[in-house]
Amino acid sequence: MRTTAASSALVAVTLLVSGCAHAGPAARPPTATTGNAASPAGTAGPGGTRGAPAFNGTDVAWLQLHVAMAERLLPALDLVPARTTDPAWRRLAAQVAATHRADLTRARGLLAGSGAPATNPHEGHDMPGMVTAEQLAELRSASVAALHRLLAQHLRAHLTQAVRVAAAEQRSGAHPAVTALAAAVVRNGTAALARLDRLDPPPASAGAR
Amino acid sequence: MERAVPRAGIRRRLRLATAIGALLTLLGMYAVSTTARADAAPGTNAIRVAEFPADCGFSHRLPDDPIIFPGLPGASHMHSFFGSTVTNAHTTLPDLLNSTTTCNPGVDTSSYWVPTLYRNNVPVEPAIVTFYYLGEGVRSDVVARTEPLPQGLRIVAGNALATGPENSIARWSCLHAGHVPPSKNFVNCPAGTMLESYLDFPQCWNGRDLDSPDHKSHMAYPVNQACPASHPVPVPKLRQVLRYPVNGDPSQFRLASGPGYTMHGDFFNAWPVAEMARRVNDCIRPVIKCGHDGRPL
Repeated sequence: MRTTAASSALVAVTLLVSGCAHAGPAARPPTATTGNAASPAGTAGPGGTRGAPAFNGTDVAWLQLHVAMAERLLPALDLVPARTTDPAWRRLAAQVAATHRADLTRARGLLAGSGAPATNPHEGHDMPGMVTAEQLAELRSASVAALHRLLAQHLRAHLTQAVRVAAAEQRSGAHPAVTALAAAVVRNGTAALARLDRLDPPPASAGAR
Repeated sequence: MERAVPRAGIRRRLRLATAIGALLTLLGMYAVSTTARADAAPGTNAIRVAEFPADCGFSHRLPDDPIIFPGLPGASHMHSFFGSTVTNAHTTLPDLLNSTTTCNPGVDTSSYWVPTLYRNNVPVEPAIVTFYYLGEGVRSDVVARTEPLPQGLRIVAGNALATGPENSIARWSCLHAGHVPPSKNFVNCPAGTMLESYLDFPQCWNGRDLDSPDHKSHMAYPVNQACPASHPVPVPKLRQVLRYPVNGDPSQFRLASGPGYTMHGDFFNAWPVAEMARRVNDCIRPVIKCGHDGRPL
């Protein structure tokens, strides 16, 4: 069941990515996100009269948010190899970065096919789970011990929020390729959080996970 | 800087004030004569301002945004909600229509929300929350053909992503301290006064979409006192006025979205169609100031 869904999602992604290489986002009628953008999130389903799956407002909002969040985390992860020699931290940062890069490619391809504006609606905006410019500067100048502590803090905040909103996309999204990507984000994010917890046990109060 | 003024100075100032007063009176007469054209037969005691209000106290706080992040609870920065008491990430028009409300008038079950204000990281909610629906900012002949805001319309105003005062339309000032100059960022209000925020929503609609992919492009601000051809339908201008029970050093304040200039507002219209239409017809088009009941004051 899961493999079927995943493979059909992959096909959908491939189709969308190749399709929109020719027709820019503007060439697509804005039906999916106009007027009913925010309306029945979760009930829209793969609507339309043809087989082409439709994006609902939740799909587009989640893709935009996920792209913006990943773009904020990657610079922090990319600092790690130069700032610490600890192999466990380097491995975790590399794994999470690789997953995020792959997710970003999929998410950008889906967004391009959705007809949504290509601009980042969260540019410069500090949303929950985003690494801020100040935090990034702090990471650049931190001692190794402080780096591990700050990295754990930011990574935990990011992954927790990413899993939370991806789970909501799974429930309320409509486009199968987008909900499949959200499922992958939940799965990979949960696994990364578990690895992080082993490397840096969470504070007792928050350790109920 | 402002010190005691010698007597000759006072007399000069009085003459100047008289001259300015006369000028203002003339301007006022001009304003009345131009706005009067909007309506041939105003009520004898009507106040000639095109306005009806809704006062909607604080309802609840959630990190949700049913316009920007529909279906994604927890995706947003913290918002303070006014009006409908049920708004969350999943809210749709039917939810609002069936909702209870904090608004006076109680027929307004619309939802209004803003980024939460924090003082020293403790949330502060406005004590006075008024949404004015106005016929202003466009020529009087445009005011006279204002259309009702369509039910289900979503409008956002302000710039949550503002990186400085230059790309913001926020306006902060002090209630009962008009001498403090307004600013796009927080201002230092004297003891005993309240910090207040004004925000004007776009009032020209494209006549077609209740929302748009960027949540902005179905609405526009007037150009040269008229609605542009791309957004030809004039609707009442929503002016959000929030009075927060705080004052003093602005460095203690932040919004959930950042500095004061990131102030923004979201509106999801759920006014009953007939109630909105009556107010546009009786208050906005004829330029008459109405009360919460939508009747002339």
